[in-house]
Amino acid sequence: MNLLDMFSLGFTNLWRTRLRTFLTLLGVVIGIAALTSMVSFGTGMQKNVEDTFANNDLFTSMTVTSEEIDLEGMMHDAMEEDTVQKQSIPLNDSLIQVIREIEGVNTVFPEIWFVVKLEIGEETSSTNVNAVPASMGEFKPYNDLFAGKFFDNDSSKEVVIRWETLKRLKIIAEDEDKPYSLSEKDSLDGVCILPVDSILGRKIKVISAVVNAPQIALGGLMNIGADNQPFKENISEYVICGILKKASSFSNDAYKGGIVIPMKTARAIPRTNFTSMWNFFSKKKKKGGYNSLYVRVEEIEDVKFVKKELEQIGVKVFSIGDQLKEIRRVFMIMDAILGAIGTIALIVASLGIINTMIMSILERTREIGVMKAIGGSEWEIRKIFFVEASAIGLVGAIFGLILGWMVSRVANYVVNTSIMPAGEETVILFYFPLWLVLGAIVFSVVVSLAAGLYPASRAARINPVEALRHD
Amino acid sequence: MNDTYDKHILEVSNLCKIYHKGKIEIPAVKDISYKFHNGQIISIVGKSGSGKSTLLNLIGGLDVATSGQILINGKDLIKMSRYELALHRRFLVGMVFQSFNLIHSRNALQNVTLALAFGGVPRKDRKEKAAELLKSVGLEQRLYHKPAELSGGEAQRVAIARALANNPKVLLADELTGNLDSSTSKEIIDLLMNLNKEKNLTILMVTHDIETAERVSDNVIRLKDGMVISD
Repeated sequence: MNLLDMFSLGFTNLWRTRLRTFLTLLGVVIGIAALTSMVSFGTGMQKNVEDTFANNDLFTSMTVTSEEIDLEGMMHDAMEEDTVQKQSIPLNDSLIQVIREIEGVNTVFPEIWFVVKLEIGEETSSTNVNAVPASMGEFKPYNDLFAGKFFDNDSSKEVVIRWETLKRLKIIAEDEDKPYSLSEKDSLDGVCILPVDSILGRKIKVISAVVNAPQIALGGLMNIGADNQPFKENISEYVICGILKKASSFSNDAYKGGIVIPMKTARAIPRTNFTSMWNFFSKKKKKGGYNSLYVRVEEIEDVKFVKKELEQIGVKVFSIGDQLKEIRRVFMIMDAILGAIGTIALIVASLGIINTMIMSILERTREIGVMKAIGGSEWEIRKIFFVEASAIGLVGAIFGLILGWMVSRVANYVVNTSIMPAGEETVILFYFPLWLVLGAIVFSVVVSLAAGLYPASRAARINPVEALRHD
Repeated sequence: MNDTYDKHILEVSNLCKIYHKGKIEIPAVKDISYKFHNGQIISIVGKSGSGKSTLLNLIGGLDVATSGQILINGKDLIKMSRYELALHRRFLVGMVFQSFNLIHSRNALQNVTLALAFGGVPRKDRKEKAAELLKSVGLEQRLYHKPAELSGGEAQRVAIARALANNPKVLLADELTGNLDSSTSKEIIDLLMNLNKEKNLTILMVTHDIETAERVSDNVIRLKDGMVISD
């Protein structure tokens, strides 16, 4: 008796008791649907996070600082001022030159961030400026803009603005693929939808705060009145040449600049020189150095080598790529927990399989006796029942995957239409990688086989003499 | 009757089968020894509970003896593994029962092909071979009928065709006419006699019908309380 015979026998038997088979199958379908939709949620979250990193080129990027940012250390600084005396390397242009020479390094530039106020027409909004060299235009996310182009030289008076920043300035850049519908609140706020052509080429004012030195010297803090403030505004005017794509819901655009300004242009903007908390807490004042440098390597594989080289120079390196393992571990734990919950449903379903198989054996005792009498071996009879159990597992897995996928689509639709704010990029919360699909099928078959183990062994051991007397 | 048989196909010596019901021992077969010659028809007669069916089940490898020896083709059934016993049932003996024991969900042809499948006959040849076997027992018009659609005689013929599927050396028939009327019984017995002649098939037949047993058999074994009283 070959495998085809077993399948033919198994399917005939299952078909004979269609209703019972269907109900048992339904249990497995629900179990697999629960398992896969749960795990696909975990993998979906992981994919979203990793994709966001990859789309922003974070896996090939590193941040170089002269010292490690040690929050705990900062707390104790006051008391232990002199205990740690690290020799820190200043992050200056000559260091940039050195880093540029390292094999695998593609781009190095100082990270410059400062807060400005943007103004288009009447509307204003505060944001971070991100100073970026024009050469970054060939990399993500700058090479794939929502509209327009990236500026082409470092002294250009053109800027690239984030879609969300425009929204804060009450301008919605029209997206023909995903039309944005204004909410009542939007209308009240005076938000308007504009075609991209009318946004590109527009002028935007960048207002930075500079120290009003004479006033401070005169003790101006005590004075009241606009001209007597310790800070005064500096207004620069630029042209919008491009709009960055909407950020995914999984990236926090707070750490990105709301406006991207060419490197030299940005450096020329007069501003107060304390832009980050870190500057406040830093023990040593930089001597003409930068707070941090951005280093981009050619390929993900280069990260390890470049990082090692940089550490040898004596600077501290932070890369998301390093954190990837940790991130994956967290997601693995999350998947395991979600999977375990889904598995409970499958285990309940497997009890259904055991029950069905035992019932089937009781009904077919005489038939099993006949099969033994005409020469069926124990192993063959066992295999017939294994085939039946695994068929339930296989068919259940396939339909369970379909159901799980459908459930995830519905959940995704509900989340995107009801929970996510309007105008946000659609999120795909559930992801069914090939390993999940194949794994679910294998797991379902294995669980079904395990459920069939006892009934099959019971069938195989039936005493043929007694079975043939059975009614 | 013919007594010029060249060899024994089957030899039973000191065969005992004791059933246990709690602590009580119930002997069903007591110290039976017998040599079955190739190509003979041998009837086993006796009252209910005399051990006829038990003896047949032991020879058929459906049950295992408590002690003694059953030699078939020189091999001792008692020493066989469960798998070897399955092969014994598959290839060396064919069994037919009073209640036909056909699988109700399968038609006549499929009942026979199942035995052929166990016998390792390739899928493509099974249907043809099963049809041939059914034709040889006169059922060419009933190939696609399910057991419920067949008369008792027809069902028993299907059972005989199935028992012959893997060319056994010995046919074991347990009260095969017990559920049939006299004319159908006669037809079935005639069929067995033809098979015996045509295929030189050794037939062991358990029956209540002493008259038929004496008419058709080369030897009649009479059992009483699990023991042979004459042959």
